[in-house]
Amino acid sequence: MGIKIDGLLCTACMACELACGYHRDDAFALLSSCIVPYRGREKKNYLGVMLKEEDSLVAARPEGIEINRIGEEQDPDKEADASAKPMLLRESCDLCEDLDDGPLCIRVCPVDAISVE
Amino acid sequence: MEYLASDKIAIVDLGSGDITEEELDEDLVLEKIGGVGITQSLYDRFEGEDPIVLGSGLLTGSLVPGSALSVMTAKSPLTGKVSHVPVVLDAGIEFKYSGFDYMVIKGTAQKPVYLWVHDGIVDINDADEVWGKDVWAATDYIREFMGDDLIQVLGIGKAGESGSPLATTCINYWQGGDRLGFGTLFGQKMLKLIGLRGMGLLEIAEPEDFVEDCLALVSTIKSGPLKGKKGIAQMAVTLGGEDIEDWISPLIHRHMACFNTPIPTNSFVFLDEDPALLEESKVNEPGMLLTDIHPLITLKKMGLSAKDACQVLKECAKYGIDAAAVAELSEKAGTTALEDMVKSFPELKGPVDSAGTSIFSPWAMVGNQDRDTWERRQAVSYILGIHPLFALMTSELTEAKLLDLASLGTELELTQETLDEVVAEVSGKS
Amino acid sequence: MDIYERFKTLNSRLIRGENIPFSEGIKGLSHPSGTNRDKPLAYPAIAIYAGQGASHSWLWFVDLFDRMGLYDLCFLTDTTLKENGLRGIDVLAMSGGDTFAIAEGLGKSGAREIERFIRSGGLYMGSCAGAYLPLNSSKPFLNLFNYVPAKITNLTRSLPTALRLKEKFCTSYGCSFIFHPVRETVELKTNGFAPFGKPKTLLAPLYGGPPMILSDPAAVLARYTGFTDHTLFLVDRKLAEETVLGTAAVIRKKMGAGHFHLYGPHFEHPRFPTANHLMAAAMYWDLRRGNPPCPRTDALQGDAFLSKKSAKHFIRAVKREISNARIVAAGLEMQPVQWTIGNKVYDPGKIRVFLEAIWSRLGVLEKAPRLCIQPGQDGATMRHTASLTSLVRATKRDSDQGRNTPDLARTLFSELSHSSMLFLDIYFRTQAYHFGGIHEA
Repeated sequence: MGIKIDGLLCTACMACELACGYHRDDAFALLSSCIVPYRGREKKNYLGVMLKEEDSLVAARPEGIEINRIGEEQDPDKEADASAKPMLLRESCDLCEDLDDGPLCIRVCPVDAISVE
Repeated sequence: MEYLASDKIAIVDLGSGDITEEELDEDLVLEKIGGVGITQSLYDRFEGEDPIVLGSGLLTGSLVPGSALSVMTAKSPLTGKVSHVPVVLDAGIEFKYSGFDYMVIKGTAQKPVYLWVHDGIVDINDADEVWGKDVWAATDYIREFMGDDLIQVLGIGKAGESGSPLATTCINYWQGGDRLGFGTLFGQKMLKLIGLRGMGLLEIAEPEDFVEDCLALVSTIKSGPLKGKKGIAQMAVTLGGEDIEDWISPLIHRHMACFNTPIPTNSFVFLDEDPALLEESKVNEPGMLLTDIHPLITLKKMGLSAKDACQVLKECAKYGIDAAAVAELSEKAGTTALEDMVKSFPELKGPVDSAGTSIFSPWAMVGNQDRDTWERRQAVSYILGIHPLFALMTSELTEAKLLDLASLGTELELTQETLDEVVAEVSGKS
Repeated sequence: MDIYERFKTLNSRLIRGENIPFSEGIKGLSHPSGTNRDKPLAYPAIAIYAGQGASHSWLWFVDLFDRMGLYDLCFLTDTTLKENGLRGIDVLAMSGGDTFAIAEGLGKSGAREIERFIRSGGLYMGSCAGAYLPLNSSKPFLNLFNYVPAKITNLTRSLPTALRLKEKFCTSYGCSFIFHPVRETVELKTNGFAPFGKPKTLLAPLYGGPPMILSDPAAVLARYTGFTDHTLFLVDRKLAEETVLGTAAVIRKKMGAGHFHLYGPHFEHPRFPTANHLMAAAMYWDLRRGNPPCPRTDALQGDAFLSKKSAKHFIRAVKREISNARIVAAGLEMQPVQWTIGNKVYDPGKIRVFLEAIWSRLGVLEKAPRLCIQPGQDGATMRHTASLTSLVRATKRDSDQGRNTPDLARTLFSELSHSSMLFLDIYFRTQAYHFGGIHEA
């Protein structure tokens, strides 16, 4: 079971990031979230969602999902981009295992861009 | 103030360069709640020093749907009234997490400066490198210099620097909700921009109940009449405004939401790139973000193509001039050519109807709203930190619900009576 | 009350000079054997090595000791260790990093200082690279530290195929290689020997530390017994099992009047309270006897207090720079960049580990009634933290432009370590003063 993200549906509202931060810190904060909408290329309006899982980094781009196994070498010919190696020291997604109703990021997403598979 | 706050007010004197800090007194929150309740009170306190007061709402930056809003309070050079403009997109919450709840900016700098607000520190920095730059170049410079693309920038362009009465404060590269000439005030103070970045943390008094209530609200909103609504054009139609969807939609790349706002009320258009492109564009500046429906409606009425209209808005955003005012004055002058409109920027002057007559920015006056209802809803949104357009669109965010959440989040007893009093006070009806 | 609070309460009594025997002070472990049960506990003076070759993991020791109320800390570099830095110290904590670089930095005189320290009753707590360092070796520099006759099982002449993390998988060792079969959480079992108490199973993180073989079974405190769902296999699982399972994970070895405690896994890691508990208990067990409560007071004669105004200015200046650097570092975390410094690979995330170590403690200093410093220490800290901002911004700019700049990164990490040491020294002096341990000179 894992989190599935449709990067094209995302509106970059950051609700998932805040909910995940709350799950980690029991307060509202963004620094420890394992799910992060990528907002760094604002003028190009290129945005997606990054998720850190136990052994992989998921980049849910508008054009599709890319999964990078943590520790495996990336394709050297591929142009480096900001979602290639994010937030390695953050804790990985635990699917909010302590919550009966499932991951908070899914429940808080207003456009149903996040689901569980 | 322990919960949902950083517990700090910064008093920045641009004239002397002094920065002092005060705690956010819980009694003040009990009396004025937050947002414009407190910015108005701080404005009154420093009135003789011509302040601009930046502040967040009580629920800003929380999981309450629509909690995107911070506000600026100052005397509008266009209306002459002490007024309030919204700070939306991600800038509102960046301020909330920057370590301050409120910031009073008073006095006038002797030479151009910018403020760098980060993690509970305000720095007044020399603006030599950015003064004279347009809004986009200034944002690029600050982000590159400070080393972070997520820095949010409230800034002015050449309009503000040159004293245009129609200057607006932009958010990063885009026009925000300032239709009241606050950009002119920035320029008068020699304040080029405010850079915001915060990695703070907001404690919640009753976290589990608060979050569960927020999740229930999201669920209700998602399954309600707003389901599937997206973008600036649909937002306008939902609020009873003119339908420009067919006109603008061929240019739309994607719709963008302000922080934690379920309905994306902004739309990004591609002007120099295929709007259907999914991959990252190779073009550096392929388009722009539409945040204000009014200039689009006017420019469409004037017969401009959607692409030309968006080009006008792009140039307005770079120059830091209010696009709604430009559209209105261009229509009056019969100027319809893109180049002529851009050339006219330095000469444009008010008065303009687009500034409205309210103390709240008419940016959120979309469609034929009942004036009293609209004023009330704006006041409540501006006090609690709710996106003013989203607040108009959704009936689920009742005042009672918002007060419940405010009390749960802060452990303070905030009543309808208090809210009524604060609304009356900021609206000048007390 | 969690274990850290319990230790903090214990230490607040010890620092006031209370006489508390081990069996009363250290709860939660049963010690069937050993003569130290009735030994009076002492409040230790601890030195943490943060010099050449040390990675960011020395900050885990900082966190552990801070949480336990052990504030009589100092930080040593290879240079200061050699310059009589271990005088008055009870415990030397040697963290992870690059063993070769540590050995080279310390050299012959450093080895001699460490040996003298232990033989006179000092306790050496080595974790990961700190565990490799005193193991017998024939290689230059490492052979200066031949104190513990243990062998390691992850030494090979023919390198197995790496499944992942190739850059962190192995280190050359003359004609051979030291390889790391697994990383992350592993399962261990204690052997029932003092000071670890009755046998128990626990988890701890392994980041390249040694699987060891020792001829004296009584010196083995814990063995590797299994892997977990969180274990990351860098080689074929069967080879990992053959190399690691059953070998010694923790050993305790006497030398003169003192001891070595060598930990393959990072028992000091902040997310492993059981391992933290055992490590702390073992430390008290082998502390030299009869310590006075404030052993380093004489070493702090030069202390001063910052005036309220200066303290405010100091905290604000440090906060400004750490915030600036932290903001850039958070952005850098999103960049596909890493640097090789010596034999170790550094990710951008590690920048923030140093910065958070300072950032998370600023609030305590803001609230402290007085700040204790050594003369000039405040100015030096402000200068160094300011240079951090410039360095991390320059690193980000280079990274944005696709330039890999290992020299800049090397300078940055060195400066991060230096700034952290300077700041933490002020922090711990201040904490110790207010905790009651160090009195006004």
